[in-house]
Amino acid sequence: MRGYRVGLWEALRYRGGIGVLVWILHRITGLGILLFVSIHVVAAFFMNALNDSISTAVTHWYESHPVQVFVYFCVLYHALNGLRVLLEDFYPPLLRYHRELIWLQWAIFVPVFGLPAFFIAQGIVLGTP
Amino acid sequence: MKVILKIRRFNPERDRAPWWGYYQVECEPTDRVLDALNWVKWYQDGSLAYRRSCAHGICGSDAMRINGRNRLACKTLIKELGNRITIEPLLGLPVIKDLVVDLEPFMKHYRSIMPYLVNDDPPPATERLQSIAQRERFDDTTKCILCAACTTSCPAFWARPDYIGPAAIVQAHRFIFDSRDHGAEERLRILDAPSGVWRCRDIYNCTEACPREIQVTQAIAEVKREILRRRG
Repeated sequence: MRGYRVGLWEALRYRGGIGVLVWILHRITGLGILLFVSIHVVAAFFMNALNDSISTAVTHWYESHPVQVFVYFCVLYHALNGLRVLLEDFYPPLLRYHRELIWLQWAIFVPVFGLPAFFIAQGIVLGTP
Repeated sequence: MKVILKIRRFNPERDRAPWWGYYQVECEPTDRVLDALNWVKWYQDGSLAYRRSCAHGICGSDAMRINGRNRLACKTLIKELGNRITIEPLLGLPVIKDLVVDLEPFMKHYRSIMPYLVNDDPPPATERLQSIAQRERFDDTTKCILCAACTTSCPAFWARPDYIGPAAIVQAHRFIFDSRDHGAEERLRILDAPSGVWRCRDIYNCTEACPREIQVTQAIAEVKREILRRRG
């Protein structure tokens, strides 16, 4: 007899710790990066091949400030979280400080993401490039 | 205090789908969840099925999901949970009845890592001696009671039931780092497979679920490192 694959709803109902949340966010940001790169490559190809209005609109969309902020969030979070996982895997005693390392990761993430995001948002609100 | 137990019930011979049973029990705050379950079974509904044996956190029989997290019913006090308690079977293993799951898939993974001493040297006249440091190396992982709380809290196991799971890796760790054992190469070969240690994503649910407070994720990371070290 084999175990069974647990459905998404059952899995989400499990009250795991902070580790689950950062792992889910790692997956979401990874998918975000994949989505952005895929759209970028496909739109750039059609832009060159056809130069039609759809590929122009898609290019304008992914070059817009909100999408740039989203991509910056995804890349920065994915990189920092990946770095933490690498550190924990190469120095297993650090896993005793798993929770603290996650807070440290957020302490680095918030200003490094927040400041550029703030200035981009300010630019959008004030209408400056 | 009055406690409402919400228990996930399922009898495969009678029910088409699981259902919730509600039971009101009079408890002391210092009673354990197992005491409340016993009260239900002995005085309210004898058809309720769950495993228990030693009732002192040693045998690992009564691991279950209590208020959404894997815990041992015999080590969890009512006062830690409040007066509404939800009890469900472990995730990822087939339910036999109510809170009893089929542990065979779990045990199959456990058996696969050769959970016994491998040493073909002639037995010495006395014990196979170890230094304090050699014994200390795997002390943490000797505490495992095979309750399955770690493996069934692991999202990697939920997604891929062929993943060997934290408990089997903890058991392998116990022998891999034992200076008296000669089976480390074979165990590491098994754990280096696609269903082995590399499925671990350092999510840490296992460590938080372990009722023996074993540093499960750390043990898994140490096994990963040992595989890499031996690869050179």
